[in-house]
This record gives sequence, structure tokens and C-alpha cells, in this order.
Amino acid sequence: MQRILNVFVKYRNSILYLFLLSFSLFFLKANSSFHQLKLEKISLLFSSNLYSFSNSINRYFRLEKENQRLQKENEVLKSIQIKSNAPFLYTERYNNKTNFPFDVQKVNIIKNSFQSQRNYIIIDKGAASGIRREMGVISAKGIIGIVQAVTDNYASVISILNQDIKINVRFKNRTAFGSLIWKGKIPKKFSIEDVVSTSSIKKGDTIVTGGMSSYFPYGIPLGVVTNLEKNIQNGYYKIDAELFENPSELYKAYVIENSDFNEINSLMQNLKQ
Amino acid sequence: MIGSFVLLILAQVLLFNQINVFGFVNPMLYLLFLVMYPFDKNQTFYIFIGFILGFFIDFLSQTDGAHTIASLTVSYLRPIIMKYSYGLTSEKPKSLLTDPRKTNNFFFLLVFISVHHLIYFAIAYFSADAFLLIIKNSLFTIIFSLILILLISSLYRVK
Repeated sequence: MQRILNVFVKYRNSILYLFLLSFSLFFLKANSSFHQLKLEKISLLFSSNLYSFSNSINRYFRLEKENQRLQKENEVLKSIQIKSNAPFLYTERYNNKTNFPFDVQKVNIIKNSFQSQRNYIIIDKGAASGIRREMGVISAKGIIGIVQAVTDNYASVISILNQDIKINVRFKNRTAFGSLIWKGKIPKKFSIEDVVSTSSIKKGDTIVTGGMSSYFPYGIPLGVVTNLEKNIQNGYYKIDAELFENPSELYKAYVIENSDFNEINSLMQNLKQ
Repeated sequence: MIGSFVLLILAQVLLFNQINVFGFVNPMLYLLFLVMYPFDKNQTFYIFIGFILGFFIDFLSQTDGAHTIASLTVSYLRPIIMKYSYGLTSEKPKSLLTDPRKTNNFFFLLVFISVHHLIYFAIAYFSADAFLLIIKNSLFTIIFSLILILLISSLYRVK
């Protein structure tokens, strides 16, 4: 306390000066609107810098919350986007939800791999959140796989990095169909089979989902054709493709729910019998 | 002391603010009080006097507050100006009126008045665009204030 007083006494002139200066600045501000404007500009400069600094810190601490909010928003946007991939298929009652059977639910990927030839993914939602078998799983820029087994809170997904899975694809603005199969080893490299060599395809064509299954809606962009050769012996193209997104590097995904799945499935069962 | 204080304020407000040499120069005679105030008196009280003086000038001549800030600042800075105009090693000057060193006295007055006027005009215009205007006004007003203050203080000089 004594020291504080000593400092106060020692710097009394400066303290008095600053006090009176602030008083006269206040006086100046109150008297003249011109000076008020100028001083407010200066104080705005200071305070805006200060606030942007504190805001940047605050933002950092809010990241988790913000992330969740964005994910929620993305979920909504994604459900609209997958519909907008093929508006011509759902034109009749475009705003009517029953017309478009697919709905989207966000999930976190908790285990992912690409080392083996048959890779599986585990996601952190299960039957309790309405996940069931044979639902499609997509990501921001492509597809990831199909749900295989479900427990209450988790589900396992056959990754598209699995040589047992064939995804029905077509080419954007073309009529050709094909099946997308992983080549193994490199996560982004795929090949497309069953494309008849009479169909017109070019290098650089965009591959989209074909919509010929109950898993994925029509028109989700997947990747581009990087190389194609005509195989004269069997009359099919030999096509190499590269995905937009590396399926082994994902942490967030969306499960696609098809509300017409049971109907379609029962028809398939009938056909098999 | 109080009499000269009041007299200087009145002279400044009623007379010297109306002079308008060349249309814009109004010498600031009230600084006479601040320069003639004895050097060895209490500095804290002196700062307060500087503030009160500027405040009254502002109040009576209905300016915004530039006189207050300028004279407050210059009275806060007076020990520093003294240090540089009279030197560190020489004997401490007691008052402008008794000190025999004429060059140092002149230099002290020049710096004191210049600082005051520059601050005054900087606050009055308060804009970087008016930089040349501030310099021009300060320069002319410094000359007139300096001449007036030199003349009047020499009347009171103690031989």
C-alpha cells in the first residue's frame, strides 16, 4: 500500500495531466460535433481491432459448437442437394417430400481403413437412430458405402474400397451405364466395367450414381474418367476412373434413408422366387 | 497573481481574440502567465493552473477545448522544455524574469510558444488533410505571440 502511494506521489504530475487531459478531451467531444466524429472514428479503430482480436479467440473456443451447427446445416443442404441432382425425375411434385424417397442423416466415422482388399467402416449411429441394413452412405463429394450390419448405437458399412461391392454408375450427359469397382491398393483409383464399347464416352467425363438401386439416388457426382480403352475381344470399354474424394480420409458422412426401400425390396424378393 | 490571471484572460478574450492580423492571426497573450510563473514553484499546482487558464479561455471565447488541451500539455511539458533550453548542468533558473541568460530565455519562449501553438492548431483543425494549414497558422501566430510576449515580459524584467 505504501509503495502504491509512493508511486502515486512520484507520478502525480503525469497522473494529474492525464486526468485533466481526458477531462478536456471529454469537454472537446461534448462541445464540437466535428471533433466528436473524429474522436469516435479513432476509438472505433481501436475498439474494432480489440474486438476482432477477442473475437478470434472466442471463435476458437466456439469451434466445436460451430462445427456441430454447420454439420446440421449441411445435413439439410445435402438432402436438398441429392434431390437437385436429378430434378427431372421428381418434377411432378417437386416440393412434396413423399415424391422423393431419400432422406439424409449425419454420422461420424469412427473407424476407417484402406489397407485390406475388403475394407469396412464403422459409424457412430445405429438402430436407435433409425439406421438399418442396406442404406447408402455418402460423403461431401461422393459415396462411401452401404450399411451392412447394425447394432443399437453403431453400424458397420461396406466401404466402396471393397472388391465385393459394385456401384451402379452412369456418365453425366451420356446414356451409358456401368459398374464402379475398386482396383485395390490406391483409395482413389477405380475401374468401371460393363460399359458397351458402342456408347460414346470421353476422357474427363464425370461419373455420377446411376440410380438403378435403392441405395443411392440418381446423380451424385463421384469422379472423372481418367483413361479409357476399347477392348476389341469382348466389346466392352476398359475404363479407369478417379474419385473426387478419398474415402479413406473421411470423418463425417451422411446415411441415406430410402423410405421406399421395403417396397422395392419386396418386389425384388418376388422376382427371385 | 490572481489579478494578472484575470486581467490576462479578459485581455485575451476581449482584445487579442479580435485582432485578426492578416485576417487569421490572433496572438495568444495569455501564455504570458504560464511563462512568467516562477520556475521553482510546485509543478502539480502549475499543471492545474495551466488547465484552469485554458479552460477559462475556451469557456469565454466559446472555442471547443483546444486552448485547454494545448495549455495543459504545455504546462505539463514545461520542466522538459526548461531542461533543454537552460541545460542540465547549469544552475537552475528561478524565473524567466530574473534569469540573466538572454539566449536561453528566448529559446525557452520560442519552444514553449511553438509547442503550445502547434498543439492548439492541431486540435482545432484535427485532420491530416489540414496539415499545411496547421503549419501556416502556427508559424504566423507563433511570430506574433512571441513578439508580444517578449515585449511585455521585458517590461517586468528585474534588473
